[in-house]
Amino acid sequence: MEIYLPVAEMSVYWLLMVGLGLIVGFLSGMFGVGGGFLMTPLLVFSGIPSTVAVATTLSHVTASSMSGALAQWRKRAIDFPMAGVMLVGGVGGTLVGIWLFALMKKQGQMDLIVALSYVIMLGSIGVIMLRESLATLRAYRSGAAVPARRVNHPWIHRLPLKMRFRQSRLYISVIPPVAIGFVVGVLSAIMGIGGGFIVVPAMIYLLRMPTNVVMGTSLAQIIAVSIITTLLQATNNYAVDIVLALLLVTGGVVGAQLGVRAGAKLRGEQLRLLLAILVLTVAVILLWRLVASPADVYSLYLGPAA
Amino acid sequence: MRRLIPIALLAFGTLGAAPAAAQEIVSGISQDVIQITSNYTGTDIVVFGAIDRIDTPQNRNIVVVVRGPDTPMTVRRRDRIAGVWVNSDAARFTGLPSFYYLASTEPIERVAPPRALARYGIGADYLLPAGVFSHHDPQPFRQAALRHLKQQGLYAEMPGTIDFLSETLFRTRVPVPANVTRGQYNVEVYLFRDGEVVSAQSTPLFVDQTGLERRLFNLAHNSPLIYGLACVFMAMLLGWISSVLFRRPV
Repeated sequence: MEIYLPVAEMSVYWLLMVGLGLIVGFLSGMFGVGGGFLMTPLLVFSGIPSTVAVATTLSHVTASSMSGALAQWRKRAIDFPMAGVMLVGGVGGTLVGIWLFALMKKQGQMDLIVALSYVIMLGSIGVIMLRESLATLRAYRSGAAVPARRVNHPWIHRLPLKMRFRQSRLYISVIPPVAIGFVVGVLSAIMGIGGGFIVVPAMIYLLRMPTNVVMGTSLAQIIAVSIITTLLQATNNYAVDIVLALLLVTGGVVGAQLGVRAGAKLRGEQLRLLLAILVLTVAVILLWRLVASPADVYSLYLGPAA
Repeated sequence: MRRLIPIALLAFGTLGAAPAAAQEIVSGISQDVIQITSNYTGTDIVVFGAIDRIDTPQNRNIVVVVRGPDTPMTVRRRDRIAGVWVNSDAARFTGLPSFYYLASTEPIERVAPPRALARYGIGADYLLPAGVFSHHDPQPFRQAALRHLKQQGLYAEMPGTIDFLSETLFRTRVPVPANVTRGQYNVEVYLFRDGEVVSAQSTPLFVDQTGLERRLFNLAHNSPLIYGLACVFMAMLLGWISSVLFRRPV
């Protein structure tokens, strides 16, 4: 059963796409991430042009983050002023990212930049998570107390423009949250990700936000960034395919809910170990595709130059 | 397909009733519009016709060409730079059809000399781009483009696929794959005698999205903001519905 995608202008097996949404949704629900970093490469592997894959994945991110954020909102675990401040940087980052996206499309280096950013981001995050989770697991086995590392960032406290964030019990400069938002906005536009796997560690380790508000706040910020990026991709690059988005989202939201239940049965460090392995696997596959000799060194693009 | 038979009868009927004086070949197509719908996975059209003079098959040949709308093409070559494959060189061609299907009674080399083939653009190798933009020799890029187009099923040459139903009636089946460009296509039927075109007929064929697909495509390009908002709304709605449906107990 194939269905025609009006913007990608190609046919896909619709069950395959719903299944893809289901699997990625399951993993994202289980690990508490948006899943964009898995969705974009998987769509590209299944033959969707990378511009459409990047732009359409964001709808999946919006939906799965929405689902998670509502649960957090009921628990009053969202720091809206913090999400708002990060969003200021996020909007700037998204605009820069969309501009870079169009520039790379013109230069013909889109696929390379997307793949390289993925390899670098996923490779480094994967290695950090793997080491951290293995260390925690080892400490847990040997019965030793897990050392709570409390690194201070005095430079962060010396920055101007301080603001009080009641829910996070913080009085810090707005510059670090704006900067984090900016970086995530750029990545969101180029890679089609929400950026949860960057925002969450940044909130915990850089901003020192209490963990109970981190998840909800990052989800709220991701929803906003993914919405803005979707709108910009739709208006600037005409790359969002609503039929593909519907297929992915339908599978994704169901998968996410099932994933949350599955995740509840595992311990945090076990989850992080599994996520680290998953992230590294995607990074290695993408790296392999960059360095392996292609079957044909020539590629063809039909249509007017972007 | 059900529409084919009456149309075919009609075409042959008029041929018999009013023989066109100089026209030695008359042809038609099974449908003049291909509509791309949500379940479109490619289709076949049937090109049929009749020749009004009986020749010996040795010196007579029929060539059917279906051409898609012209599209610019960019061919990029990847080279290994610091261990990574990077797009390094490119060539652009304009004025080449986005779809090209050729059916003939004989391999085209035996139908006519290269000069005649080039004049009518018969045979993918004889298609001349209107513009070539390249810093280097464009030949390998052009060959790579043809190779890719053939792999994607957008270009095909099928000698020996024209069936004769009688000495004068012929037909051939043209597969139109799912990944074709929308626009006006031309179905050209050539009658060659001793390497010269003695008669030719061209019929337009329209390929277009229809119904919901068309409206979505138009919306995406004409009112992208509304389209984007619709995507966002759809995603948020489904996210919300799922969180309500699956609400506690976990």
